Amino acid sequence: MANINIPGFDSSELKELKQKLVDGCHILDREGITDSFGHVSLRIPGTDAFLTIAGVSPGCATVNRLIMLDLDGHYLGGDKAAPYEWPIHARILRARPDVSSICHTHSKWSALFSVLKGGLRPIHMYAKFLPVAGPPIYPAAGLIGTVERGEALAATLKDSAAVLLRAHGDAVVGASLEQAIQRTIQVAFIGELLHMAVAHGEPLYMSAEELATFSGDPAFPARPWEYYLSRIRDRYSS
Amino acid sequence: MPASGKDVPKINSAELKELTDKLMTACHILDHEGVTDGYGHISVRVPGANAFITIANVSPGCVTRDRLIMQDLEGNYLDGAKTPPNEWPIHSCIFKARPEIVSVAHTHSKWSTIFSVLPIKLKPMHHYGKFLSADGPPVYEGVGLVRTVDRGNELAAALGKGPVVLLRAHGDAVVGESVEQVIERTTRLAMLGEWNHLALLHGEPKYLTAEELKVYNEDQRFPMRGWEYYVSRLEAKR
Repeated sequence: MANINIPGFDSSELKELKQKLVDGCHILDREGITDSFGHVSLRIPGTDAFLTIAGVSPGCATVNRLIMLDLDGHYLGGDKAAPYEWPIHARILRARPDVSSICHTHSKWSALFSVLKGGLRPIHMYAKFLPVAGPPIYPAAGLIGTVERGEALAATLKDSAAVLLRAHGDAVVGASLEQAIQRTIQVAFIGELLHMAVAHGEPLYMSAEELATFSGDPAFPARPWEYYLSRIRDRYSS
Repeated sequence: MPASGKDVPKINSAELKELTDKLMTACHILDHEGVTDGYGHISVRVPGANAFITIANVSPGCVTRDRLIMQDLEGNYLDGAKTPPNEWPIHSCIFKARPEIVSVAHTHSKWSTIFSVLPIKLKPMHHYGKFLSADGPPVYEGVGLVRTVDRGNELAAALGKGPVVLLRAHGDAVVGESVEQVIERTTRLAMLGEWNHLALLHGEPKYLTAEELKVYNEDQRFPMRGWEYYVSRLEAKR
């Protein structure tokens, strides 16, 4: 894909995508997943470019604080402060053409299961997008500030929907931004639920077949997005 | 540096306006983030003087400009409200022992308190704890409020060259080279305490080693993002 197809950062074509990205950031903040750190990215459809937030906390994101980069981290437009961990996005988007959006968070529930032996294993149908053993864990120390580390992270993620980063957090991917956001919230939900369940003893984990049964049922992905948006509406009214 | 007296700027001088505003914001942040309750205080060194400003016997969440006090490092009153906090020696003795330190926070954070009375150390299991040593902060064992210079010196000795000391059955003291850094560290310490608590219920977590902490510390330092984020939460009351 050539960069010639990439719309200009200020083009009207990107207006809706930018607002969706900002909405996604505020949703993660509102739902208690991100704190001052974390970022969300969105691929510009049909190109090797993506939008993310520019050195700002997700809960403080605005359309004026976004940056556009290509998959090698070259600056293509917007605010100039690339997030330190841009390779998370660039290298996963490169390795996974099926992925449109990535959330990287320091969610406490992901951080927790990233340092435990048991794995963030599905005990609820919300986790139907996860493998039975739970998401893989990227074991290395250090922020994902280099292409090499980004590639190592993408290799650990492989074809999963989520990867935990040991002592750090998670990266969750989706075919759309709405899906990546919803999955990120569900990973946190599963983490909290599993933490509580394990305090009682070994819970009844779901099998691969059971997860497949839930995955085969119809989904209504638009519903939670509308719900999450309704919960951040007050942020835009002031 | 003058010990006290005429070369020290007045507490309400234009010269100290930015610093005192920042100190008050910092107090309200710790209250808003649930770290302090009716007790706790933050101090800031008066640039170029053997003096500091702290809150005058008022809860951090209730601080106003007319309730700030300036004292010298012997505890002598210099300016502002006339009621020094009971534990002013925490600040004066640490400032004396550590010339590079600009700000000190003392809180009764529940997460510091819990690890102050456990045989288990508050060791970094997340890179938010990268400013700590791999074996966690020391614990000051002394009983009683730190309201004498002797106790203040013992506390400063327990702190040593580190960023944090826990006070047994009491709370913590966190130091930094700026008010913003102290806020970042104090909030991170509370998060780490909560996360360690959650993890330890499952067994021993995989902690970060000294070498791994070094890798994180060689990456980007915590940027100012935390301060902007906490101020935004304070202002929006969210």
